[in-house]
Amino acid sequence: METVNTNTGVDVRKRSPNQILKKLGLVLGENFLYLILVVVFVAPLAWMVLGSLREEKEIFANLYPFTIHTFWPITWTLDTYLDMFGISEIGIMYGLHFHRFMANSLIVSVAVVSCSLVFNTMGAYFFARLDFPFKNFLLIFVVATMLIPFQATIVPLYIVVSKLGMRDSFWGLIVPWFASPFVIFALAQFIKEIPKELDEAATIDGASLWGILWHVILPNAIPGIITMALLEFQFIWNLFYWPLIVINSSDLQMIQVAIANQTTQTQIFWGRTFAGSTLASLPVIIIFLALQKWYIQGVATTGLKG
Amino acid sequence: MTTVPISSTDQPSSFLARLWTPRNRYYFIAFLFILPAIINFSIFRYLPIFAAARASLWQYSLLGGYRDFVGLQHYQFMMEDIYFWKSMKVTAMFVLMKVPVQVLLSLMLAVLLQKETRSSAIVRSAIFTPVVTSVVVVSIIWAMMYHSQLGLINSILSAFGIPRQVFLSDADRALPAMSAMMVWKDLGFSMIIIMAGLKGIPVVYREAAIVDGAKPWQIMRHITLPLLKRVLMFVVVTQTIFSFQNFVPVYVMTKGGPMDSTKVIVFYIYQYGFLFQDMGYASAMSVVTLLVLLVVSMIQMRLFRTDVEY
Repeated sequence: METVNTNTGVDVRKRSPNQILKKLGLVLGENFLYLILVVVFVAPLAWMVLGSLREEKEIFANLYPFTIHTFWPITWTLDTYLDMFGISEIGIMYGLHFHRFMANSLIVSVAVVSCSLVFNTMGAYFFARLDFPFKNFLLIFVVATMLIPFQATIVPLYIVVSKLGMRDSFWGLIVPWFASPFVIFALAQFIKEIPKELDEAATIDGASLWGILWHVILPNAIPGIITMALLEFQFIWNLFYWPLIVINSSDLQMIQVAIANQTTQTQIFWGRTFAGSTLASLPVIIIFLALQKWYIQGVATTGLKG
Repeated sequence: MTTVPISSTDQPSSFLARLWTPRNRYYFIAFLFILPAIINFSIFRYLPIFAAARASLWQYSLLGGYRDFVGLQHYQFMMEDIYFWKSMKVTAMFVLMKVPVQVLLSLMLAVLLQKETRSSAIVRSAIFTPVVTSVVVVSIIWAMMYHSQLGLINSILSAFGIPRQVFLSDADRALPAMSAMMVWKDLGFSMIIIMAGLKGIPVVYREAAIVDGAKPWQIMRHITLPLLKRVLMFVVVTQTIFSFQNFVPVYVMTKGGPMDSTKVIVFYIYQYGFLFQDMGYASAMSVVTLLVLLVVSMIQMRLFRTDVEY
């Protein structure tokens, strides 16, 4: 798709000066708009990351009025991170141990993603390929769960999870999410695209249903599975409301709740807030930037077909 | 089936043997594939709705359990609870402030950025980055940006000679400020979906229109928009349902204030359920919110059915 070349204007010579000027104005205007958009969407996050790499008093000294140093550090330092990890004196004094919350979030996210991949791939395979008398009913059963608003029904979910004795434990964070209607649905769409002849050949070779899923479907569905794993990882890593109510012990808390509590208690420590926010968001942002093609594909498919 | 003990008499076991045909055996194994998901959805998606319906009829707390059966009293109380109605109104206002702006902007950006050039790809990633950033972090950073003394926005305004403004501690401005932030955060999501929709429109239609001498805005009005209706409807409805359940920004930025001007329904339910420990009333409000959102979903399905196909 690199054929357009509007920026360089291939056949400039054939155009009148007026046309060239108009074209130039359009290109400049467009790029100016692009620049503004990038600034608007990146500036808050850049402010956060850059703010975490400087001394706190320097942040306050340069905030108002606006200069280049409102954003750009004068002296670069990792002190705020040492504080957040409880390595520096201030960190020890305040009893900060942010690595703990990051590890908790990582454990829960990885556990949910792994379980969910196993069970959702199985479910997707069922809907895409297998024969079952009540399949349509089951499909409605699964699709209808997407209509249940999650945040609005969190009180009753809490009642159920408490009754099961999973409150204040990783179980309560992991078990409710080991299957997802969105992932099943998206993966089923994906598996449907795999040629059916492959299954049939494997069946003739005497493969069981598990064998077909493992040896035929799974290798062909890897891109879809990776996309869904990314979306799910982001969903769990960014979870806030659920861990907020289900976890009481601060040692088990997930990072989003930890950072929210940290900042509301210590509203004045902007440096540490910046560092904590960076730690709480950067892993997912980096994964996104590295694998964004798959990511956006995933959003587009779940959006259009869900 | 396998759990039924084989009894001493021959009759039942031969009955079972007749049931255990290769076909039924296949169905049984097939069912095992979907069983984990069915169990999960039954317990963690459907059961809570019944739990809520039940708890809403009781004086209920986690420690005390079901203490007194109160029938529909919670619902009666809700009708007279001015704070409930106020929070419903605040929620609706938040949705109305956010969704139309977001959909309009994301439509414009989707059209602007659909070119497959390097620069537009960079802009697209920039716009999508807030989508993957956690709402908590976005709320924290924007609360600092909105700060009335030291905030980044006031700092930038000062560069244009505009005096300091109050955002989050002003009852008239807090909700618009919050919805502006959430438009910023969710814009990339709806933009990507609309872009996928744009890609689905066959190029021949636009080419034919260009051959007929149609202007860009005419193509937009008469070809792109009608064919995009389905996708736009989808975005409007999902974003409405999603924004209706706004909670995190309220928790992080304002705690419902100032003067309840940002106390949305999910935050009000949270307060009753977890701060006042009144799970019964919180459940009743959850049931009503669920019903409201189900109605929105039904409208969605109705609209999807009566649509132009291409």
